[in-house]
Parts: sequence; structure tokens; C-alpha cells
Amino acid sequence: MVFLNPLLLWGLLAASVPIIIHLINRRRHKTIQWAAMQFLLKAARESRGKKKLRHILILTCRTLGVAALAFAAARPIVSGLLGWGGGSIDLVVLILDRSASMEAKPGDGLDSRRQIVLDKVREAMADLGSARLVLLDSATVQPQDVPSPEVLAELSGAAATDTAADFPTLLSRAVDFLTETPGRAEVWIASDLQTSNWRPTDERWAAARAALTTLPQRPSLRVLSITGATAPNNAIRLLGSRRSGDELLLDLEVLRAEDSRGSTTVPLTTNLDGARTTETLTMPGQSLRFQKRVVLPAGSESGSGWLSIPADGNPRDNAAFFAYGPARPVKSLVVSAPGEAANYLALAAAPPGFGNQSSEIVAPAAFASMGTADLAAIVWAAPLPEGASATSLEQFLSAGGNVLFVPPGSASTTAFLDMRWTAPADAEPGKFLILKDWNHTDGLLRDGVDGTPIPADRMKAIRRQVPEGDAAPLAVWEDDEPFIVRRVVDRGTAWFMGSIPDYTWSNLGDADVLLPAVQRMVAAGADRFDASYLATLGSDVTRTLPGETRVRLDDYGTPDPSNIANESGVFRLGERLLAVNRPIEEDAPEVIGREGLDEALEGTNYTLLDQAGQADDPSLSRDIWRAFLIATLFFLISEALLCLPKKSTTEVLPQAPKVEA
Amino acid sequence: MKYDFLDNALLSRLGSLPIESRVPMMGNVAGKHRSPHRGSSVEFAEYRKYVAGDDTRRLDWKAFARSDRFYIKEFEADTNLRAYFVVDASGSMNFAGKGEAKIQYARRVAASLSYLLVNQGDAAGLSVCTDKLHLEVPPSRRAAHLDRLFSTLGKVEPSGETGLLGALHTIAEKISQRAFVVILSDLFTDPVGLGDALQHLRYRKHDISVFHLMDPLEIGFEFDRPHRFVDLEDGTALVAEPSLIAEEYKAALRDFLTAVRAKCHDAAADYQLVTTDTPQEPLLREFLTARLPKSKH
Repeated sequence: MVFLNPLLLWGLLAASVPIIIHLINRRRHKTIQWAAMQFLLKAARESRGKKKLRHILILTCRTLGVAALAFAAARPIVSGLLGWGGGSIDLVVLILDRSASMEAKPGDGLDSRRQIVLDKVREAMADLGSARLVLLDSATVQPQDVPSPEVLAELSGAAATDTAADFPTLLSRAVDFLTETPGRAEVWIASDLQTSNWRPTDERWAAARAALTTLPQRPSLRVLSITGATAPNNAIRLLGSRRSGDELLLDLEVLRAEDSRGSTTVPLTTNLDGARTTETLTMPGQSLRFQKRVVLPAGSESGSGWLSIPADGNPRDNAAFFAYGPARPVKSLVVSAPGEAANYLALAAAPPGFGNQSSEIVAPAAFASMGTADLAAIVWAAPLPEGASATSLEQFLSAGGNVLFVPPGSASTTAFLDMRWTAPADAEPGKFLILKDWNHTDGLLRDGVDGTPIPADRMKAIRRQVPEGDAAPLAVWEDDEPFIVRRVVDRGTAWFMGSIPDYTWSNLGDADVLLPAVQRMVAAGADRFDASYLATLGSDVTRTLPGETRVRLDDYGTPDPSNIANESGVFRLGERLLAVNRPIEEDAPEVIGREGLDEALEGTNYTLLDQAGQADDPSLSRDIWRAFLIATLFFLISEALLCLPKKSTTEVLPQAPKVEA
Repeated sequence: MKYDFLDNALLSRLGSLPIESRVPMMGNVAGKHRSPHRGSSVEFAEYRKYVAGDDTRRLDWKAFARSDRFYIKEFEADTNLRAYFVVDASGSMNFAGKGEAKIQYARRVAASLSYLLVNQGDAAGLSVCTDKLHLEVPPSRRAAHLDRLFSTLGKVEPSGETGLLGALHTIAEKISQRAFVVILSDLFTDPVGLGDALQHLRYRKHDISVFHLMDPLEIGFEFDRPHRFVDLEDGTALVAEPSLIAEEYKAALRDFLTAVRAKCHDAAADYQLVTTDTPQEPLLREFLTARLPKSKH
């Protein structure tokens, strides 16, 4: 709390006037010779206590009334950030959420949440006077002294970014800083409370809280949340990118606000190496997933571009960047004994018409001697590998390859990755083995980008082998035995599918299930060749290596050169071409709310200053002199009520004779 | 004026009102007050049967002629009245708040009534009491006696604690014949003890009147600032904020007055609470009028 007219605080001395008058009055008593002393003594004995308390209350009301008047005259200002106890702080550590979601605007024509909170902090710091301000922003996670609150918004460390925020790390870093910086400090966390940034269940919170309690002077923790409604906003994000010959396949998603109703059209601008095209998307719901095929210029080895939607409530989520490299043949290997199943699998790995895909069938015994570095995927339809084959396969998996294991067709006790096949089992006579359920959002049988499900329920099997071991089931038979399981090995993935595309086993070869499953597995394996062109902001690959320089290649928007490392775009890092996009979790609208905060900051006695719905409030500081004036009135009225004479008992005294003169 | 507590004009206006006794008196000379004895005045009292030894001159021969029985005709015996004025001269009687000092008011009342009594042929005496002093002027009917009584009243200087209760008991013991006892005091004493003293007087068949003298300030207790109260009797001092204790003070005073009034009522005493700002003429006029017998009023 600060005062606009602090000199008038000298008026507080007037609060002592009632006490002084009281003391003087007590000393200025008049002496009187008194006869009815016996009643006086009795009254004096009985009046102690209640009457004395009343008298003290009257005196207190007078004193507080004058004091409140003096406070009101001094024009006190209380800041929503500072509250009542913020008057003597040596240091303020501002943890600033610079994530992309903080660029959302509370309304048309208003500043972004980040700018609003910076303004509020600046005003609050002005109230604080000479307190030191240290900025700890979510993008760099490095404490930075702010020379003056006035320049806070102009610092590159407070500028907009496309990054995500990691609050457990930020709080730990703040505690580390406070450990080295003694003094009475406060930690202000300015954020939109996005759940993906706060991660309330993250185990690191416990360590951060524990570290906070060990500080010699425990700082106050204030969370300034900027939540609530935002201006209408659409977002576009790139889910995946893959070059297929002379085409670039871009898996895209356009999002609308959760409360959007009806269909709408969104113009989509595509920029490929400087050439722009615009098309109109029709969005029937709140999100639209689709695959966009971008035809690359003939003979193009590599290039980049971006896709954008018009500016709206958040300018940071209107573009998705991509880059591509030379086309690579997608090679797959089917390790199996020759036969119907091997042919089906080879066909599924390289269907006719996919010119850059090829597949080869090799016998298990020949696998160990083959190179796997240029393979996108391997289909292993043989007893699980052992020895050199197993080693080679593990190396392939660790390097990011994908391997689909199908049953060998005979009982085997061999284990690979601690996985093994059960013995072949037939369905009951006259009945088929049918899939009961499968994961529609993840795995080989996930729905298409347009939401079309894989018709896996059409698959009928009469024989199966069930994969056993520690793996995540993604599809299960009716008896809950797994049909497809996944085992992640370093950067690669091993898939186990419990039937064979052979008419003596199942109709898996009918392509309803086998083709999409194998193609996805192959695509996932091939992504590791294309993935080097795409990155998420904040990941390790987006950092420059020694000797590399960062050069932005795209022409989208108005890049901030001082903030280039925290912006999405297409960059050349040394020899690397990299399209960097914001983390997709930044588009998630979920906020943690009070309960989540309580969980994350349990035991820290934090103060939540919720500014939801007050985005147009120009300041957190409030002039509260009226409150003191009301307090003055309250005290004076209370004093008057206490001073009111009680109903006199004189009337009940026996009356002296009333006689006529 | 020799005595400042005497008001000749007042006395002359009150002179037409007799002072009556509410109980038969036993004076030693004839007077205008009823006596418990039957006598030969003109006031018929009753018939009674003749018994041997009765004065035959008092036989009602007309009644004998009508009834053939002997009846003695009895008449009221009138006698004079002896009044004792008991004036409390304790220190508290010296208090003068809004009115005059209580002792001065007592002087006025005692002197006026004494004058009226002697003037109508009755005897008036005076008893001034403190805890240390007990002045007494025996009752007398002579006009010259009044000067002595007034002189004694004029010399009274209130001081010390009250000796009222002792004085009342002394008077009750000492006066053998029925008398009119007028008590002038602020009665700042134990109401129970006061009740005992009044009962003692009542037992001796005295006619008792109590003038309870209070200053208006003592009743209203209206002060606007803290005061240091010094006891007039023993010098005890107390600093107090009157506004804070007024309620309790008035409650205590109310209890006291109620108790005193009850004690007087129990002893059939004529009780009057008088504030010292009350004019004397209406006070005395009402007092005298109230004592007139109903038949004569």
C-alpha cells in the first residue's frame, strides 16, 4: 500500500488527540465536598468492568476515526499484486509465462494477456518504489535484472514467443536464484494457468516446494492469473509432414474455439518457397483434420514453406511451418519364409502405385548379414530372432526403425525384447475370432486424419498367436487377449500383431486392416528420415550447435531478430534446414484452476490474484481512500452510539413532594 | 432579623394553621390536643357504665331517666403537645449543591415549626446530634424559650459523622411522655438501624415526622467532568468520572431511599423526602394541612 499524499500521514498524530484530551480531563478534575459518599463508593465498585470497557471502546472509536480520516486524506493506493503486505519488499522475482497462449487477447482491440500482465506488474512495481525486479521468463529460464519497471515490456526477455512454459522448472530456478540472493523477496507468477504448462501432477513440484521451504527468508508467492474469455481465435498446426516423391504430405489440423457453433470457412494460405496459394477450408465443427498434398516443384531437392490462416485473437497460432529434403526411397524388408503370408506382407509394405516404396522378402537366416540403415521398416514373419539377427534388429529399432512382428505360425519359446508368442490356437468350431476394441487415436489402427475409422471389426480369424510380455495393447480380441501390442525401443517401435494374412489363419490379407497398419508402420519408420526437417520449439534439435548460426528463411509475419531462438519459423542452422513449430500443447485451452494450483503449490500459502473478466481493468492498483472514509464514518457513528445516554433511572427515584409555590 | 433562618412573613401566613398531633398527647397542662385520658372538656367521647367510685357528678341523669341505668358521660381530655426537633448535625448536612445547605434548610423548618408550636401554646424542644456532640434544649411553652432554641440552632456547625441513631434512641428512652418527634436529617446512616430507632420511638408512642433532606445534586448527580469527591464526614476522597458511574449511583440511591421510606412506613412515621431547593411555605403548608384531623379539615 502506498500513499499519493504521504505528507498527510502526519495527520495520524491527530489520532492521539482523543487520548490526550482524555488524560488531561482526568487530571483536570474538580474537587467537591460530597455527602452521599456511600452511594458513590458503591457505584464506583460496581461500574468497573462493563463501563470501563465501554469507555475504552469510545476512546478507541475516536482514535481510529481520526486515524482513518488521516489515512483517507493521504489517498492510499493498494495494488492487487501487492495487497496489504507488499510495502517493504527488497526483491521481486517475476516468473513470466511467455508461452504462445499468453498472446491471446481478452477482446478485440485489447492487448495480449502478456502485455496486460506486464503493464500490471509495471504499475505494481511503481507502487513498490525501489524494490529490485528480476525477470525469469519461461522461454530462457534465466534470471535477468530489470533496470526499471518502465522498460519491462520492452525487454526481449519479456517479448512474445511461440514456446511452451515449464512452471516446475521455473519455480525451481526462482528458488535457486533466491538462495543466492538474500532479502525479503516475493515471487510473482504471471500466467494463463494453461494445464500443459503447469503440469500440476509433475513430480518436480514437490522438489520445488521443498526447496522453497528451505530458503532462509521464505518469499511470498503470488499467482497472477490471466484467464477468461478471449477474442475469437482459430489455430492451425502441423501434425506431420512426409515427402512422397514429388509431393509433400502435410497432416494439418485447424482448431476453433470450444464454444464455436455451426460451420465456418477459413482461408488457408500456403507458401511454398515464396509461392503463395490460397484456398478456403470449410470447418463443420470445432476442429478439422486433413491431409494436404503439396506438389513440389519438379526436381526440387529441398525447400520450405508455411501455411497460415488470417490474424485473429492470438497471432502466434496462425501459421505452421514445414521443410523438406530430397526424396528418399522407402524400403521395407519382409523377413519370412516364402509363402502367401510373405507375399501379402510385402504387398502391403509397398503397394502398387507408391513409386518410391519398395519391399523385399528375405529368409530369416539371411537377415543377419543385411544392412538396415536405409530401411524404413521391417516385417518379421518368422520365429523371433536370436543371436546376430536379434542384435541387428535391436540396433535397427534403436536407430528409429519400426518392426512389425507377425506370428511364426508355430509354437516357439524364443523371446525377443522379453516378448514371446503363445502357441497357435484355433477358434471354437463354427466361430471366428473377432476384434472387440482397438485404440482409435493411437497406434496402427487409429482413425484417419479425417476421422474415418479403420474397419478392423471386419477381420475374422480362425487361428491366432498371442504376444506375451510387457507391451502396450492397442487392439484386443473379444476375449480380451491382445491382437496388436506396442513396445517402444529407444527411438524405434516394435509392433506385434497376433494373426497371419493367410486364409488358414484369417482374412487379414483382405487389406482392411493389414494395408493401413503396415503402411502406417512403414510411414512411421520413414518419418525418421523426414523428421530431421521438422522440430518443435524448445526441443534439443532447435538449439544451435557449436559453429552453427541461426538464419530465418521464411517471410511469415514480422520476426523479432532479438528473439529468433524462441520463435517458430523455417531456419537454417548451419547446414541443417529446420521447420520449427510451436508445441501443439499450446493450443490446448485447459487451465488448471484453483484445485490444480492448490495441488502444484501445496503448502506455499500462495495468493491467487485472478484477473479473469477484468482484462479491461487498466490497473491492479485501487484507490481505497473511500474505504477509509467509510471506516471513519463507521467509527464516528459507533462512538456516537456508544455515547448515547442509556435510559435514565432518575424517573424511578422516589420523588420529592411536589408542592405548589 | 436576628436569625437568618426565620421568616416572619412566612410565619404570619402560616399562623392560622394549627399543628395537630396524630396521636393523643399527654401534656401536663390543658391544651388543644387530644389526650388519652378522659376529661371534662366540651368534646363528648362516649358513655360507659357507672362503677362504684365514679364521680357521681358525671352521671347522665337523662340517660338514667330513659333507661333506668347509670351511665357516666365521658368527654375528651385536651392537653398540650410537646415537640422535639431532632436536627442531624453531621458533616454531610453541610453539603450545599444546587440548593442551600441541608443544615440551613433544617434550621428553617425546625425554627418555623417551633415558633408555630409555641405560638399555639405547645412546648418545643431541640436536640442537635453528631457522633460527638448532643446538644439539647428541653421543651418549653414560654415564648422566651424560643430565643434559646433559635440561638442553639444558629450555632450548630455540622461536622463529623452522624450520631442520629444514638440520639433517637436516647430521646426514646429519655422522654417519658408522648411527644411529637420531628427528625430533620439526610439519614445517611444504616436504614436498618434507622428502622430500629424509629420503632423504638414508636414503641414509646411518640408521633414521628421525618423530613428527609437531600440536595438536588445528590439526587440528579449531574456533572460534566471528572470530580474528586471528598467525604464531608470522614474526608475520604475518590476521583471519578460521574458520567460513567451515574447509573450505578442512582441505583444505589434509589435502593437507599426505598429502604428508608419502608422503615418510616413500618414505624408509622410521617416521611417526607425534601430537596433543599423546595420552597418552605408550600412544604410546611402541606405538612400542616395533612396533619389536620379529617373532621376538622
